[in-house]
Amino acid sequence: MTAITPSRPLGLTTIADVWRRTGVLVALILLVIAASFLSDRFLTVPNLLNVLRQVAIVGILALGMTFVILTKGIDLSVGSILGVSVVLYAGLLESQPMAVAIPLGLAAAMLAGLVNGIGVAYAGIPPFIMTLGMLSFARGIAFIYTGGTPIPILNESFYDLGNGYLLGIPIPSLILIAVLLASWVVLTLTPFGRCVYGIGSNEDAARLSGVPVRLYKTIVYMISGLVSGLAGLVYASQLSIGTPIAGQGYELDAIAAVVVGGTSLFGGRGSVFGTFVGTLIIGVLANILNLTGVDPFVQQLFKGALIVVAVFIMARADRA
Amino acid sequence: MHRPASAGDDHAIVGENGAGKSTLIKVLGGVHQPDAGRLMVGGREVRLSSPRDAFDKGIVVIHQELSLAPHLSAEENIFLGHFPRTAFGLVDRRAMRTRTRELLDRLSIRIDQTRPVGELSIAQQQMVEIAKAISLEARVLILDEPTAVLDETMVETLFALVARLKAEGIGIVFISHHLEEIFRIADRVTVLRDGQRTGLAEVADVDQAWLVGKMIGREFPAHAAGSRVTGEPALEVEDLGLEGVFSGITFTVRRGEILGLAGLVGAGRTEVAQAIIGVTPPTTGRIRVFGRKVRITNPNVAARLGIAYVTEDRKALGLLQNRPVRENATISNLRRFRRLGFLRLGAERSYVREVIRRLDVRLAGMEVEIQTLSGGNQQKVLIGRALSLDPKILVFDEPTRGVDIGAKSEIYGFIEELVASGVAVLLISSEMEEILRLSDRVLVLRNGRVAAMLDRGEATESRIMHAAALADGDAGPERP
Repeated sequence: MTAITPSRPLGLTTIADVWRRTGVLVALILLVIAASFLSDRFLTVPNLLNVLRQVAIVGILALGMTFVILTKGIDLSVGSILGVSVVLYAGLLESQPMAVAIPLGLAAAMLAGLVNGIGVAYAGIPPFIMTLGMLSFARGIAFIYTGGTPIPILNESFYDLGNGYLLGIPIPSLILIAVLLASWVVLTLTPFGRCVYGIGSNEDAARLSGVPVRLYKTIVYMISGLVSGLAGLVYASQLSIGTPIAGQGYELDAIAAVVVGGTSLFGGRGSVFGTFVGTLIIGVLANILNLTGVDPFVQQLFKGALIVVAVFIMARADRA
Repeated sequence: MHRPASAGDDHAIVGENGAGKSTLIKVLGGVHQPDAGRLMVGGREVRLSSPRDAFDKGIVVIHQELSLAPHLSAEENIFLGHFPRTAFGLVDRRAMRTRTRELLDRLSIRIDQTRPVGELSIAQQQMVEIAKAISLEARVLILDEPTAVLDETMVETLFALVARLKAEGIGIVFISHHLEEIFRIADRVTVLRDGQRTGLAEVADVDQAWLVGKMIGREFPAHAAGSRVTGEPALEVEDLGLEGVFSGITFTVRRGEILGLAGLVGAGRTEVAQAIIGVTPPTTGRIRVFGRKVRITNPNVAARLGIAYVTEDRKALGLLQNRPVRENATISNLRRFRRLGFLRLGAERSYVREVIRRLDVRLAGMEVEIQTLSGGNQQKVLIGRALSLDPKILVFDEPTRGVDIGAKSEIYGFIEELVASGVAVLLISSEMEEILRLSDRVLVLRNGRVAAMLDRGEATESRIMHAAALADGDAGPERP
């Protein structure tokens, strides 16, 4: 009675996975339909592109966060690492060309991720604590580097990264989509990505199977750091100023997007497409609340409720 | 999909994995509600809406995975949720201590009731859990494969406890893969196959062959005969030691040979295996693989040398529970499917399809999560994972633990097939029948040292048990 089902399309793996993905997607579609009834301005190309641009920074952070959460970790330092990279771009651009400033900023962000990774994977510090430490430490660096005063960015060609368009699409959105596709390829088509899921599912079993668990966990935090630096690039360009408070609290928005997108905080389950859809759900909700003139203070309530309800539905789907 | 079952005193339920035993337990324990039929407790029909409800009605299930709080002591575990109180409303430790002692004395359970249960042996933890059930006035105790995690001396102690519980008038439902156990402790037996009852009998009226017939509907295959032709030494271990765990371990496994590694639980068998494959590298001694001296510092090194290991602890060290069967089968050797840094998913799928066919894994498809499979099928997938390394040396640690009889004989056949093709096998097992049936030679460990090396001709159950338990007298060895 050996039965082998025909192979399914890429990525759509288990039934739970399908539910996870389509469930989140269905939620987004319902939200879009509701939004288009609530406001005439919602379903217009400029508005939709606007949403896509507004979610770019948190969306990019959330993609890096997905790697970390898939290994059953967490990275609370992404907002602070973004902050460090932002002040570095601003400071370096005062004297250096973009071709120097950008790689250095990204390298610094990746270095912070490396420190997180070593702390978690080799020193055995719980991810929550290690990255909480880095949240404070990196923020401190940003303040010390700027002396507390924002550094203006005067290099005008740098502005395009955050504000420009390519083929009618905002460049930050294109960066988001590029990171999404790259993440998907890494997670589903490389041995490393496969092992990321394995580590999150059962770290001891992965180790016994010969997976270099510590190295790969370190790499995962480096990816999260690097991606935070990339989000910082968009941030610095959009605001054209290097402020040391850049990205404060963004780690929670990124975690929210990952969780709403169906990735399990218990590791081994989830996808970057889910995270992308989760990012859009949060973005569309914020957009429609703005369009309908809901008080920004009240908007916070909606976001909080959304996160809890999404996770509640997900937990039930898992049991079904 | 459910079947009738009358739960009386000392009733045993047997069946292959997937026969419906687990589902039946879930119904009896109140986890699932039956679609049809009635459930009687003490002559009254009851409906169980939840595990809590079953509990209140006197039905307690003791699962293989125990549900004790590891950091709390036995007495705290027993009274968790209903601590005796002092006049001030605080926990009355003295009353708790006395009442626990009375309870344990009554059941003749000898343990340190003040130690965190996580530090007790599995067998002792099991007894704490049973004592807890009794303290909560359980009338029916359902033991789900309680002996699967115990070695033979511990099984004796458990059976003695079961006998005392019977004497106290507590109904026991006993689920087991081990047929000989049924004859030792059960009065009546129900056999399940594919969710149906295929047999119900007084144990005194039937024999093992009858049970096996009802379970699998075919004859139990005969024991393998004769000695194998073995080749050059594949794995040579000399004076291997791990500080405080084992020492002076020396043996050789040849190509085409099965070396059985016997001993009581805690004798250090798994630890020796894990030292060889580099999970906990040894502190002393030498290992040679095909004559070449090697240092194995992690499982990856072992894998490159052609040594694969199938763990005894599927759940903790084997399964990627929430990942598909496909990924579980290939995680050990993704290199095999890699080209230019990317995975060739098509090649991976055809490899897994081949594993499924070769090992006759029964499943709905390779994309189902491995946690949905029965124990036997999970084990086959993990064997497939080891085979992805094309191993020259295979270490099987309790290869049929928690596996039903059908899958068991398939796994035996498979191990024999591998050996015939020239693979060297180190077989760790707590099941005497398994060791005797498969091994060419048997190495017996006791308290981390070699107690005996027996050839096929001289290896008998009594000799092995003698060597394994000798020095420690009648109580059996208990390592700290």
